Amino acid sequence: MAEAKGVLLPAYVVADESGSMAPYQRELGDGVASLCEGLRAEPMVAAKLRLAVLGFSDDVQVRLAVADMRTETTVPRLVIRGVTNYRALFEDLLVRIPGDVKWLRGEGYRVHRPVVFLLSDGQPTDGSSWHAPHAELTDRDRTPTAPNIIACGLGDARAQTMVDVATRPEFAFLAKSGTDVGRAISEFFHSLTMSLVASGHALNSANPQLVVNRPDQFTMAIDEVGR
Amino acid sequence: MTPARRGDPDPVPPAAPPRPAGPPPAAGPELVPWQRITVDVPGLEFEARPPSQYAFDFPDSECEGWSTDRLTLRFASVRGAKHRYYRQPRQDAARAAVHEATGSIVFAVADGVSSAAESHQGAVEACRAAVERILYLLDRGAERLDGADVAAHAAERLRELARWRLGVAVPQAAEVARLYATTLVAGVVRAAGDALEAEVFRIGDSGAWLLDRAGGGYHPLFGGKAVPGTPLVSNEVSPLPLVPDRPETAVERLAEPWTLLVGTDGFGDPLGEGDGRVGELFASQLASPPTPLWLGHVLDFTRETFDDDRTLLAIWPRAEGAR
Repeated sequence: MAEAKGVLLPAYVVADESGSMAPYQRELGDGVASLCEGLRAEPMVAAKLRLAVLGFSDDVQVRLAVADMRTETTVPRLVIRGVTNYRALFEDLLVRIPGDVKWLRGEGYRVHRPVVFLLSDGQPTDGSSWHAPHAELTDRDRTPTAPNIIACGLGDARAQTMVDVATRPEFAFLAKSGTDVGRAISEFFHSLTMSLVASGHALNSANPQLVVNRPDQFTMAIDEVGR
Repeated sequence: MTPARRGDPDPVPPAAPPRPAGPPPAAGPELVPWQRITVDVPGLEFEARPPSQYAFDFPDSECEGWSTDRLTLRFASVRGAKHRYYRQPRQDAARAAVHEATGSIVFAVADGVSSAAESHQGAVEACRAAVERILYLLDRGAERLDGADVAAHAAERLRELARWRLGVAVPQAAEVARLYATTLVAGVVRAAGDALEAEVFRIGDSGAWLLDRAGGGYHPLFGGKAVPGTPLVSNEVSPLPLVPDRPETAVERLAEPWTLLVGTDGFGDPLGEGDGRVGELFASQLASPPTPLWLGHVLDFTRETFDDDRTLLAIWPRAEGAR
């Protein structure tokens, strides 16, 4: 392959903006801000990442387009609205991720397999209609840029749903029963920052594994399935 | 007169490779320190931090250079920005030796896997074991290099280290990998009749190329990192102590105007296909053998996001007039 300006990991933080998240808007805002600050404090890692923040509800709205966090000065703001439509989310990612990869390559970068960190507090309101676009998104034959998906559920989210959304069982997490949701949101963003920093270290080495840290207050969702 | 030593039949050393035109700078206050070479956007500039206290035996940089009657060797290995920043030792290594009976050059380059706790040691030991084994095989008159045999010998060295380290008789492969996992590319350049031939094999994703010094192009001896059928790249490797039945192997004639390059992905990733600024930099700087220290300086160029350790070993055939 031709000489590249760098090798990047596109990372998408996808946050549920549905109405049930309204009591936790402050924690969501603080979490996004701490993520941005955490990456700015690690410029060597941030140089190898491109971060996007998406809010999803009835549709997907871009709160931060794929950005270099070393130079990005705005802090994205999540907006509470509507219901929890998973189909809209996965249909959006099916278009967005290949487009972003193409754009980054056009800018002269080589690109690692993208990663999506999903935070949702409820069951999808669109039944099972999201299964088809999700299956297409995560099928590496049909979607060559298929992302790794890490799914974190809290509130009414069910373990089985998180396992179905995540691309590997160990990438699915569920807030422990009785956990304060606001605190769980804070832990999600803390863990997300740690995961991105560790992955940024590992991806350009001879050990390219995606590092996923389980957030405190969360359990592996696969352990909760069937309980 | 001191008698020539074995392998040194001619007490007169080989002639120096061509140097840049003009007299070398004289000592004095006008001497300017080398400035770090920047390619495109530089990475973060900072003073390196020390590696952890017990990694004192793995210096930030090392380099080597000498010539035989027919070949010139240079190598350099430098700690990447990531390891300088986060207090990790250099996890790359290189070693080279002359096989005295034949004048062949034996070499090995390794890239320790960063998740392995002692991969800096694993890389050095894998190189040592590979060079020792190839020298032994050449002594036995091997006509072709058995990469699997050499790799198995290096893997056994890593197991021995793990036995000693863990105090167990038979360490599990996963335990060996957890401590000492490393890539390895090794081989030999030797005479094949009047010609010279390079044999190289690899375990993992370190690379080898033939540099066309006349045209500036790079001919890769092994495949790249593209994920088939996707626009993505992957660094996934199967490093030592895993040994495939048949390691990837390349055999090439080495003649003017070609130079054999062997390097870790810290060099190979920024090089790409060699058709950009990094390729241009090395094609110009390797047009003739640089001093070993200068090779290390060039290899230590800065370009953002390329912060891995870098190791590059180069072997030039010597022109008739230079012998």
